[in-house]
Amino acid sequence: MTVSTSTSNKTQSYGVQSTGPANIVEIFKFMRLTIIWLSIIFGAVWGACWLFGVVLPACVEGFGLPAEISQTIRYFVPLVAIMVFIPINAMFMVLFERRALALFTVRKGPNRVGPDGLLQTAADAVKLLLKEDITPRGADAFMFTLAPIIFFAPSIFGCIPLLAAATGDHRLFSIANLPTGIFYVLAASSIPVVALVMAGWASNNKYSLVGGLRAAAQAISYEIPLVLSLVTICLLAGSLDVVEIAQQQVGGFLHWNILGAGKLLAVSQASPITFVTAPLLAICCILLFWLYMTGACAEINRIPFDLPEAESELVSGYNTEYSGIKFAIFFLAEFTNLFVVSAIATVMFLGGGESPIPGFLDTGFFVSVMGTLNSLLQPVPALQWLLNSLVDPATLSCVFWAVTKIYLIVFFAILIRGTLPRFRIDQLMDFSWKRLIPLVLILFLAVAYLRELV
Amino acid sequence: MKVGLDTLLFYLFAFIAIPFAYGVLLDRKIIRAGFLLIGVFSAISGLFLLLNAQFLAMAQIMIYAVGITLVVVIALMLTNPKSEDDISPLNNWNKIPGIVSAFLVFITIYMSLRAENWTVRNPGQLMQDNITRIGIDLLTYFSLPFEFASILLLVAVIGAIMLAKQEKEITQNNSDENFDKEELTSEDKNVIKV
Repeated sequence: MTVSTSTSNKTQSYGVQSTGPANIVEIFKFMRLTIIWLSIIFGAVWGACWLFGVVLPACVEGFGLPAEISQTIRYFVPLVAIMVFIPINAMFMVLFERRALALFTVRKGPNRVGPDGLLQTAADAVKLLLKEDITPRGADAFMFTLAPIIFFAPSIFGCIPLLAAATGDHRLFSIANLPTGIFYVLAASSIPVVALVMAGWASNNKYSLVGGLRAAAQAISYEIPLVLSLVTICLLAGSLDVVEIAQQQVGGFLHWNILGAGKLLAVSQASPITFVTAPLLAICCILLFWLYMTGACAEINRIPFDLPEAESELVSGYNTEYSGIKFAIFFLAEFTNLFVVSAIATVMFLGGGESPIPGFLDTGFFVSVMGTLNSLLQPVPALQWLLNSLVDPATLSCVFWAVTKIYLIVFFAILIRGTLPRFRIDQLMDFSWKRLIPLVLILFLAVAYLRELV
Repeated sequence: MKVGLDTLLFYLFAFIAIPFAYGVLLDRKIIRAGFLLIGVFSAISGLFLLLNAQFLAMAQIMIYAVGITLVVVIALMLTNPKSEDDISPLNNWNKIPGIVSAFLVFITIYMSLRAENWTVRNPGQLMQDNITRIGIDLLTYFSLPFEFASILLLVAVIGAIMLAKQEKEITQNNSDENFDKEELTSEDKNVIKV
């Protein structure tokens, strides 16, 4: 009797929790989780960069070794930053996605492992690493092993130029900048398609092969609107250099490329024709952003374009035969790719690391906080030195805004995943070839003329 | 003799490219040979990087190493999956004429390269911002060849679509009409990507 009443009480309490004010508690928990994890990730990355960029070179020079060695160590900072960042970030993003989806569907999500489910994906990672690594009979073992590596490697070396843009061209990261920046990123991000076909073919499984071909067809189709939308933004900015593109967008959200790169502000001074052309240019750029996000979602196989890995209907396609660490690498690469495409969107459309606050409202929050801390630490010179070598307020502000924007886009992608149903394969192809590509070509022409008329 | 980093890297890329090229010729599985071609193209794009031709290196990866190789591999998969057994290209007496003709082709290319007097205008400017140079030259001095190349590609795409369409009219009498249509449309798309 007592047992049954307690269970009924429980169900009632769950019923109450799933509505109204209880959901606010879940949202609060979700935000707390995000803030904790992001601080862990960026603390670790920041510390690693400090170690390789400041401490180690100082030690080397202290021992009287030549300056070339310390300079070489500094060259490795972007690489170290990425190598530290990717595994922790993927672990966070899996948890972020699961908790966000739970929020949208009024569930609780993973909440058992660690305090409030914070360690769920760490446990998942350990499980995946301990699983047996199986190579199917008749598979091409070499290609079978190579495919996940080729799938993952471009997301490591492809996003290196973006680091320079996201840190506001900090001197440790400006080595990562290239004059062909965005073209390099696009070339690198086109490589994983090969890995999908390779994985499908090497598995010696007909369904995997068909899945790989399906994935390749989709990736090739959606790469065209994706690349053309970025090309149009390069046309607007007049540069391929990501740092230059990010620095052109300084001065608040009205200067961002998504709103026509500050051309809206030119309305008041210039000729009357700009009253028409400037808003038109802004509309074109918003449409380009939408096109980019659509193409990017398809490119990284996310719902509503996740036909290559429709788990429940088509048995996962190209990665059916993979298990253990190879499957983990595919999984890791997918979440890293989501982060990379969000970073590209941030740099190309949303001003990279620049603050969204217009210049006349900007109070220099980070600089003033640094000044206060410096004056507080005045009596202890050692701590003051540590603080000044560790934190650079301009870079901190850049990284803060870049990360905020990138994770807002990631959250938006998860929101789309939780909202839209999946496309059918023929609808998917028609949507790209008959709608998106003509639209992006029209926008390309429109922007080419409008940027001269504004 | 002091060996520069450039020279070392050149030999490294050559050391990668040549075995891959042999692999393309000698591998028994024709699809794996297609994948090895990617290695060749990547090593060649590394050589372009050494020559300070970043744009060309990226284009090499994006178009040749990924786009074209992928289309070749997919076409191989769709056409003749059984041909991967018992292809042993260097097993019979055909190899001697093959080697002779390959040697002759090599000599011809080598002589024609050495005979040409390659002049470099403003080398310093090329090093600085060669993307800007490429863009300006393509749209001013070399605009006619550029347009001819694009017309050639357009004609190729239209031709490919016409060929595919004609085949569709023939197969319209078949019972499973839908299946054929699907296959053809996907092939169209691959051709357009080229």
